[in-house]
Amino acid sequence: MVQYNFKKITVVPTSKDFVDIVLSRTQRQTPTVVHKHYAISRIRQFYMRKVKFTQQTYHEKLTQIIEDFPRLDDIHPFYGDLLNVLYDKDHYKLALGQINTARNLIDRIAKDYVRLLKFGDTLYRCKQLKRAAMGRMCTLMKKQGPSLAYLEQVRQHMSRLPSIDPQTRTILVCGYPNVGKSSFVNKITRADVDVQPYAFTTKSLFVGHTDYKYLRWQVIDTPGILDHPLEDRNTIEMLAITALAHLRAAVLFVVDLSGSCGYSIAQQAALFHSIKPLFANKPLMIACNKTDLQPLETLPEEEKALIEEMRREAAGRDMGEGAGDEGALMVMSTMNDEGVVDVKNTACERLLQQRVEVKMKGKKMNDVVNRIYVAEPRARDHKERPPVIPQAVLEARANEPAKPARKLERELQEEQGGAGVYSAKLQKHYMLADEAWKDDVMPEIMDGKNIADFIDPDIMARLEELERLEEGEDDGGEEEMEEEDLTAEEKEALQAIRRRKRQLLDRHRARKTTADNRSMVPRKFDQNRELTTGRMEEHLSHMGIDPSAAVARVRERSVSRQGRKRGRSEGPSMDEDGMQIDGSQGPAHKKMRDRSRSRSAVIAVPGDGFKDSAQKIKIQKIKRKGEMARNRMAKQGEADRVIPNKMPKHLFSGKRGIGKTDRR
Amino acid sequence: MPQGDHIELHRKRHGYRLDHFEKKRKKEAREVHKRSAFAKKVLGLKAKLYAKKRFQEKATMKKTLAMHGERDNKHKAEDAVPEGAVPAYLLDREATTRAKVLSNTIKQKRKEKAGKWEVPLPKVRPIAEDEMFKVLKSGKRRHKSWKRMVTKATFVGPGFTRKPPKYERFIRPMGLRFNKAHITHPELKCTFNLEIIGVKKNPNGPMYTQMGVLTKGTIIEVNVSELGLVTPAGKVVWGKYAQITNDPENDGCINGVLLV
Repeated sequence: MVQYNFKKITVVPTSKDFVDIVLSRTQRQTPTVVHKHYAISRIRQFYMRKVKFTQQTYHEKLTQIIEDFPRLDDIHPFYGDLLNVLYDKDHYKLALGQINTARNLIDRIAKDYVRLLKFGDTLYRCKQLKRAAMGRMCTLMKKQGPSLAYLEQVRQHMSRLPSIDPQTRTILVCGYPNVGKSSFVNKITRADVDVQPYAFTTKSLFVGHTDYKYLRWQVIDTPGILDHPLEDRNTIEMLAITALAHLRAAVLFVVDLSGSCGYSIAQQAALFHSIKPLFANKPLMIACNKTDLQPLETLPEEEKALIEEMRREAAGRDMGEGAGDEGALMVMSTMNDEGVVDVKNTACERLLQQRVEVKMKGKKMNDVVNRIYVAEPRARDHKERPPVIPQAVLEARANEPAKPARKLERELQEEQGGAGVYSAKLQKHYMLADEAWKDDVMPEIMDGKNIADFIDPDIMARLEELERLEEGEDDGGEEEMEEEDLTAEEKEALQAIRRRKRQLLDRHRARKTTADNRSMVPRKFDQNRELTTGRMEEHLSHMGIDPSAAVARVRERSVSRQGRKRGRSEGPSMDEDGMQIDGSQGPAHKKMRDRSRSRSAVIAVPGDGFKDSAQKIKIQKIKRKGEMARNRMAKQGEADRVIPNKMPKHLFSGKRGIGKTDRR
Repeated sequence: MPQGDHIELHRKRHGYRLDHFEKKRKKEAREVHKRSAFAKKVLGLKAKLYAKKRFQEKATMKKTLAMHGERDNKHKAEDAVPEGAVPAYLLDREATTRAKVLSNTIKQKRKEKAGKWEVPLPKVRPIAEDEMFKVLKSGKRRHKSWKRMVTKATFVGPGFTRKPPKYERFIRPMGLRFNKAHITHPELKCTFNLEIIGVKKNPNGPMYTQMGVLTKGTIIEVNVSELGLVTPAGKVVWGKYAQITNDPENDGCINGVLLV
């Protein structure tokens, strides 16, 4: 979808500015210092670069201009014609053509002078040539002044053209001057067209947008057209003609019944017939305006006949059979809004119908229609099966008392003194347990504290919990009371249990408080060494469990830094028959545990002057061994930066002469 | 008023802002100060350009002022006949001006007469040989072979055929060959881009003439058939002499004056 938006064209500078821009750019972006004792090739290159850079800048800028402006043959014919009417196609093409020629000439000049610069033998000559080259380019640009000025004006005007989309749903309003086209557009859109009681108030195309059936409709207001041959029409009228000729739109021909516009109905009918060819293939409607001054019914017979003829014309050329001729003639009064909406709706409807028809005829339609399938149950007989609503429901619905209309806040405001006096009550919507609390005054600060900080929605639940806890403690107290019945042993046991309980609780609490803030620390960093194997052993034995298996297991698992020695492997245990016993606490399991992962082989590739990989490995070993002591002491190695002698004698004794800096 | 001219529309509906004219007046009043501040601040090339622009503006301003003031100025009544008798010491006044005009015309005539036998550039700077030629090593086989390349613009006729490289002593590079010149007709005050037919005389010596070197002051023959000049006998002139007035190798083009 091509967007017709001419706002993005860059500004076209005047010829003087153009030269200034390019020259200052050359000055800023190329080197500026050259001396005559430089090698001549360097001097040549310096000046060649300047010439080329200037040419490139000109080329870029001119190309930008040429490409920014739309080519009249490439854009939609509506815009092509509009631009022709407004700016004169020949002039436009000529201006762009001249810019194009200038670009080519500049390229040629630069090429010539670069060639001459290759033969420059002095700085002076090179400089003169550069000067001549730039001078010629700039003179050329100076001569483009009028074209550039014209293009700038065109650009400014184009960027202000209303953005009309020639493809979309459009209603085009046309008619004699001062018949009420603009007031109609103002009624149905927000275009805000200037309306004045004289002819030719609207001097250009105006676009507004309106809604119908949830679609966006473009409404175009055109300047009034007079009834004379095409050659005599002025630019303003030509705008309307262009729009009529090229836009696929519903045309609304507005007729002033009263004749207060200064043109009789006969004249308006004549205009209608003379521009008839422009209405071809478009839904057309006659909208009779100003019925407040002159209703259609009370018109004289001959004028009625004229309008009837127009109506027949409009209905007849409507290609849709379905549209019929109702709606080909509508009456409205933009003065008191009578029939305005009807006119709009009818126009939209007719255009929509026509567009759908055209689309249905098109090739693309089949692709889409194939995909649409509305599933309907097949009728098994001819019985009607309407939806069933029980009689009771229907009755209930009928008897339902009408709900009182909810009062809007706005209405309340109007009732109670209007804006500024009325203040909306926000407490109204509070959801509280008691309605009466809504109006309670709640202090914000109390005893120097912000009350909001102390609001807790769960306070009741917490309170209950607390109470329950307290009750539980009381139970514990009761238990203690019973101690007296126990024997000494039992007492001791109870004491032990309680101690243990408290211990557990404390530890749990301590851990919980820290756990929230601290990440899990690996075992090896545990400073307290609480969970040692010894302690586990002690604990287990205390509980009366034989700890040996668990301890052995843990020991087996623990990672030794030295590298674990493989357990001495026993030969597979055989029973008397020499059969391997399966599933017993046997060597199969042991072996499985014992085997450590073998180190992956280091592949030593021979090379670097070694005979074979074995030799290389040997050397590497020796090297590692030799470095070991030094590495352990973190001493400097061969690869470290070294200053063997920090104050060499020959640099720090005696005076320095004129000669070298590393000798005295 | 087209759609989208919001400022215009607003002005049409509500008029100008209340302080619009005040602001405008102040801005105008401030303009001179701003300009002078800029002129003081600006440096270098921009300063030069700005000064030049300002000078031009001021000159045109003065001219316009003078034009407007012409009505009020006191100036001499041109052909007013002094009333009554004129004293002898005043008789002289008008005569002096006329005498001046006369002397001017005489000078003009003399100049024209003299001009017939003179060229516009009677003297030129002599060009040394080492400026004219550049030494080039040539060939691959011999160690000491060298040639001379002309470093000035040259004219090489269309019928020129190179000698075999062994016998070629001077090289006239393709990049410096010209065959068109911008020639000004001194009476028509018009410039034409004319084809060069040949080199008549190079002031630096016959060798250069022969080689077709184009330097300042060289007389060349140009094709003036475009101009449509006619001899007293009624024939169309097609070759005419012209003198080169610029340094072609420095300007990249040849400018000259037609000798009439």
